[in-house]
Amino acid sequence: MDIEVAEERDGGALVLLPIGRLDSANARSFESIVMERVGSGEQRLLVDFSRLNFISSSGMRVLLMAAKKLHASQGKLVLCAMPDHIHEVFRISGFDQIIPIRDTRESALADA
Amino acid sequence: MAEELNVTIPARLSEVRELSSMVEAFGDANGLPDPKVFVINLALDELITNTVTHGLEDKADAEIRIRMRVRADTLILVMEDNGQPFDPTRDTNADVTSSLEERSIGGLGLHLVKSFADRVAYEFVGGRNRLTMEHDLTRA
Repeated sequence: MDIEVAEERDGGALVLLPIGRLDSANARSFESIVMERVGSGEQRLLVDFSRLNFISSSGMRVLLMAAKKLHASQGKLVLCAMPDHIHEVFRISGFDQIIPIRDTRESALADA
Repeated sequence: MAEELNVTIPARLSEVRELSSMVEAFGDANGLPDPKVFVINLALDELITNTVTHGLEDKADAEIRIRMRVRADTLILVMEDNGQPFDPTRDTNADVTSSLEERSIGGLGLHLVKSFADRVAYEFVGGRNRLTMEHDLTRA
């Protein structure tokens, strides 16, 4: 099952906006999009959660892979505009300690 | 009496979508708050992923049965499958503290299931795994 992902260029960063649900049914689709962008040399990647209402660990796995790969190449992944219920999942997972999460697109861009 | 959910689905990841719609309808019928509906759908996604990826060994007739009901301010969710015996309550190996370089995703799904539930119990009965989760509805 494919995921719909909007893409925007903002400053020097690539912003991905996954839409709707990022779950076990479409995580592979999200993985192929994200890893293709990282593999083609994007170094500053933002994932904007403002249009996402559901994520499970299948989707978080993709973000972890991207964060590791970017970190290894001196790049950076920053997350932003996360709804409260999703932010809680990242907190319980300890992901908020390893991947920066910013309230707004602007502050994420400043960090990416 | 409040509406109950009782559904049996083939053990496939693609089934989580239709199931999530049923859970949302169940939530509406029972006046559940959106954050509670979210954590129930999260738990089902994690548990079904776990069963499909680890518990089936290509079993063609694999199925998952889900029952949900509200009793006295408690949401009771029971999930049964006919896969390999596996007790998720004993699996406590999620890594939620190591550095980015060292971090592993293994076990995170079950960690989330257990973190959000107030009580989780496992039994193996009649050749099936049965996991019973309770969520208190009085807690914010």
